[in-house]
Amino acid sequence: MNQTGKKKYAMVIDTSKCYDCKACMIACKVENNVPNDFWRNWVKHTGRISGMRTQFQPGGCMQCDAPSCVEACPVGATYKGKDGLVEINPSRCIGCGNCVTACPYDARYLDPLKHIADKCDFCWHRLLRGEEPACVATCPTKARVFGDLNDPRSRVSELAEREKLVRVVCPSINTEPNIYYFAGTEPLNWPVVPTLPGNVHMPPGFWKYSG
Amino acid sequence: MQANNQRPMSRRRFLKLSGAAAAGTALAGQSQVLHALVKKRGGLQEPQVQRRFSVCDMCFNKCGLIARVEDGVVKMLNPNPKFPKSRGMLCARGNAGTKQLYDPDRLKYPLLRKGARGEGKWQRLSWDEALDHAAEKLKAIGDQYTRCGVLFMAGSDLQSQFVHRFAEVYGSYNVLSHESNCLLSRNRAFLDTFGIVPFPDVLNSKYVIMAGANRFEALVTPDSIDMVTAMKDGCKLVVLDPRFTKTAALAHEWHPIKPGTDMAFFLAVANVIVSENLYDKNFVARNTYGMEQLVQHVRQYPPEWAEQECEIPAKDIRRIARELAVAAPAAIVYPGRRTSDYENSSQIRRSFAIVNALLGNWDRPGGLILPGKVGLSSPGYDAPFYEDNPEERVDFGKALMMFPEEGSFKLSRDAVIAGKPYPVKGWFTYKTNPMQTGANRGKTIEMINELDFMLTVDIQMSDTAWMADLVLPAPSYLERQDPASGLQGGSAGACVITRDPVVPALFESKPVFWILKEIAARLDLGEYFDFTLGEFRKKQLQKLPAAAEALRKDGVYSINNKLYGVQGKKPFRTRSKKIELYSERYKKNGADPMPVYRPPRTVPEDRFRIVVGRNAYITQGSSTNNSLLCQIFPENSVWIHPEPAETLGIREGDEVEVASPVGKGRLKAHVTEETRKDTVYMASGFGVLSKALKNIYGKGACIADILEDYDDEITGNMAMHETMVTVSLAQS
Repeated sequence: MNQTGKKKYAMVIDTSKCYDCKACMIACKVENNVPNDFWRNWVKHTGRISGMRTQFQPGGCMQCDAPSCVEACPVGATYKGKDGLVEINPSRCIGCGNCVTACPYDARYLDPLKHIADKCDFCWHRLLRGEEPACVATCPTKARVFGDLNDPRSRVSELAEREKLVRVVCPSINTEPNIYYFAGTEPLNWPVVPTLPGNVHMPPGFWKYSG
Repeated sequence: MQANNQRPMSRRRFLKLSGAAAAGTALAGQSQVLHALVKKRGGLQEPQVQRRFSVCDMCFNKCGLIARVEDGVVKMLNPNPKFPKSRGMLCARGNAGTKQLYDPDRLKYPLLRKGARGEGKWQRLSWDEALDHAAEKLKAIGDQYTRCGVLFMAGSDLQSQFVHRFAEVYGSYNVLSHESNCLLSRNRAFLDTFGIVPFPDVLNSKYVIMAGANRFEALVTPDSIDMVTAMKDGCKLVVLDPRFTKTAALAHEWHPIKPGTDMAFFLAVANVIVSENLYDKNFVARNTYGMEQLVQHVRQYPPEWAEQECEIPAKDIRRIARELAVAAPAAIVYPGRRTSDYENSSQIRRSFAIVNALLGNWDRPGGLILPGKVGLSSPGYDAPFYEDNPEERVDFGKALMMFPEEGSFKLSRDAVIAGKPYPVKGWFTYKTNPMQTGANRGKTIEMINELDFMLTVDIQMSDTAWMADLVLPAPSYLERQDPASGLQGGSAGACVITRDPVVPALFESKPVFWILKEIAARLDLGEYFDFTLGEFRKKQLQKLPAAAEALRKDGVYSINNKLYGVQGKKPFRTRSKKIELYSERYKKNGADPMPVYRPPRTVPEDRFRIVVGRNAYITQGSSTNNSLLCQIFPENSVWIHPEPAETLGIREGDEVEVASPVGKGRLKAHVTEETRKDTVYMASGFGVLSKALKNIYGKGACIADILEDYDDEITGNMAMHETMVTVSLAQS
C-alpha cells in the first residue's frame, strides 16, 4: 500500500456477483454496533421477475467527493476528512438530521441512542488494524472490492483500469461518489433528490460542495 | 491489503491472553456480557484482544471463522481466509453468531416441566438433580419396555456422534437424525446409481441445471460461491423451480416447472441424449449397467410428452439436452440437497443421476466428483448386548430401502403413536427441532403425548424443548471443545475441522458430551465414556500427524486430496460394480429398476400445492429468533400469485389463513408473480409455540402445522410438497 502519499479509499462492486445474502449488512451491524433496525449498508435490486436478469446492488455511504451532506450540515460536524472519507465529528453533531435527508443515497441515519448522525466509515477502525471493511471481508463472492485509488497497485485501481465502471448518481446533482459499479449495473435509479428535513427542496446550487 | 490471518500474534501471547480471559470469566460470570456495553473511558485503555479459530454452526455448512475477542467478549466473527470450503466467507447467519452466543433467550440452567406439556411452566434444577432424574427415567423405561423403548434424535453437530454412542451402549437402535426430514432421497438415488454420494464440481462446470435446488438462498459452501465464479467464467445456469428464487433471478434461464414433474423433464432429456446419440459412448459402454434397458425405457418419454407434464416447451427441453451434451463432461444435473419433497423423490433424483451418467461427467472436472478420504481414526468400543431387545428398529420394513442407520422420523413417529411393533416411551433429542421441521406438527405432539419421558438438550427453548419434560442447556459452538471431524468441500477438497472454546461457556450450560458422560456413569455405562474430549480428539488425529498443528495455526487441516480420476479403473460400489442405470436391487426390493414417471397429485381447482424452501437468513427454527437476523426476516408470509389472489380478494399484506386437512396457520399474504398460480410457498421457522423465543413468538405461521406427512416410498424421507391447501382471508 502507498505509505507516504494521500490515500483515496474507494469501493468497486461487481453486482453480477451478488446474490443478496446480506452477509455484508449483518457483518456491518456487528462490527459497528449499529442500533436495531438501522443499517449502514444495503443490497438493492432491480425489478425481479421483469424478464431481465435481476441485479442485486450492494451499497453504502459513497464517501462522495462533492458531498451534499457536508453542505447541509449547519455546524461543520460532517466534513470531507482523511483518506477520502466523509467523516462525522460526534462532539460537534447536533442531531438536526439535515445531512440524513441531504444524502441522495439514504446512507445516513440518526442514532436513536446517541442522537447524532451516523453512517459507514469504511470501518476506519479496521483499516487502522490493516483489515478490510467488514462487509468486504465477509462477502462470499467478493462482489465488493475495497482499496486505495491513489495506489496504482491496489485491486480497485486495477479494476478501474481494466473494467468499464459506472457510478450511481442522483439525476439533479452529482455528488461524485466513490463507490463504483461494474457497467451493466442497471437501472441504477435508486438515488433520491437531496432535501432538507420537512421535504424542503433547495436549488441544485445549494448542494455544490465548496470544501 | 492485508488479510487478517497475516497479522501475527505469538503463540505465547495468545495462550497468556486466553488464560487470563478464562480466569476472569470464572469470577465474573455474566458480567462479561455487560462489560461489552460499557465504553472505555477516553479510549485510554486498549482492550485485550484475542483472535481464535472456530467453525460456524449457524447452519450445517461449517464455514471457517476467526473470532475477535476483546476483554473476554466475542465482538466479531470474521471469515477464515485459509478455510478452503468456505473460501473466506461468512454469510448473514454466520455473522449473526455472536447473537446466538449472547442471546438473552438462551437456556441457562436445567429445567423440569411442572405444568402440562407445552404449558411453559418450569422448575429450575441443579445439574445433579437433573442428571439423576434423567438416569432414573431412562433406567425405568429401559427396564419396563426394553432399551429400544427410548428413541434418540440428534441434529447436525460435531458432538452428535456421542448421542449415537450413548444410544448404542444404552441399548437402543432407535436413533434418528434430522436427515430423514431432509436429504435422504438424494443420497439414496446417487448412492444406488454410482455407489457413492458425489459432490458437484460446480467451480469448473460449463453448464449446470438446478432443479429443486436454490443455491443462492439455501446456501451450500462452496457450491453457492463457486456457482457465481463459474458463471463469471461462462458457465450457463438453468433453473427449474415453481418459484422465482434468487437463484432463478440470477440464472440464464428460469423455467417455472410444474411441481413434482422434474422426472418427466429429465427422462425427456435422457430421451433426447439417447435418441440423438449425444452421450459419451465409451464412458457408457465401459462404466454403466443397463444401457440397453434405458434406451428402451426412455423411448416412451419424448420432449413433446414431457411438455404436457412439466409445462416446459418441448423445444426448450430438446435444446437444453443438446446444450448439456455439448458442454459435457463439464456439465451437471445438480444433485440438490433437501429432497424431502415427493413420495417418489428417490426415483426423481435417480433420473437426475442417470442423466449425469449419460453425460460421462463422473470423476471429471466440472462434473460429479468423489468425496475425499479424510483418514480420521474412530475410537472404537464394544457395545453391550441386551437380549430382551426386539429384533429391529421401530420403523423397520416401513419403506422399501430405508437407510438403517438413519431411519425415518415420519415412520418412527407413526410407530410411537401406534405403540407398534413395540412401545417407545422415551425420547432424547439434541439440537434438532422436529416440532418445526417435521411435517404435521399435530402428529409430533400426539407422539410426545405417548411418551413417559422426553429430554431435550439445546441452546435455546425451541418448540421441541418447549414440549419436553426435562430441558438441559447446551453451550453454543463458540463455547465448547468438539471432536475433530472430516468435512467434504467438493472442489475445495476435504479437510479436518474442530472447535475449542472461543470463550468459556455461559450460564450453567454444559456440552452434550458431558451430559451423556454423566448420565452414562449413573447407568453403570461409565466405561464407554471414560475419556475426555481432548483424549478422544487425539486418538482421532493419530494417523494425521500434521493435523493438530495445522488446526492450531490455520484453524483447518486441508487434506489436498486428488479431485479427479480418483475412481480410475476401480469397480463402482454397486451390485453390478458399474454405474447402475438399471438397478436389479431396486427390482428385488419392489421398486422400479429405472425411474418410471407417475404424474404428481392433481391440484384441485380451489386449492394450491404448498412448497417448502429456504432463504439465506434463516436456518429453520434454529436462527429465526436471532436478534440480528429477525431484523432482516421478522416473520414469514405466504407467497400467492396475483391472479388467484384477486379471485380470493387477497391483497398484499392481508392476514390470511392457509389450511390443509391436518392443520392451518394464519399469516400475511405476499402477492407476487414470483410463484406459479397453482403453488404457494412459506418459509419455515415461525409460528412458534415456545413463548421463550421472544423475538418471534406470535409472528407468522408454522409450515409444519400445515404440511401433511407423506413420505418417500423408498427411503421413508419426509415428502413435504404433497400437501394441497386453501388460502382465504382470515376472519378477524
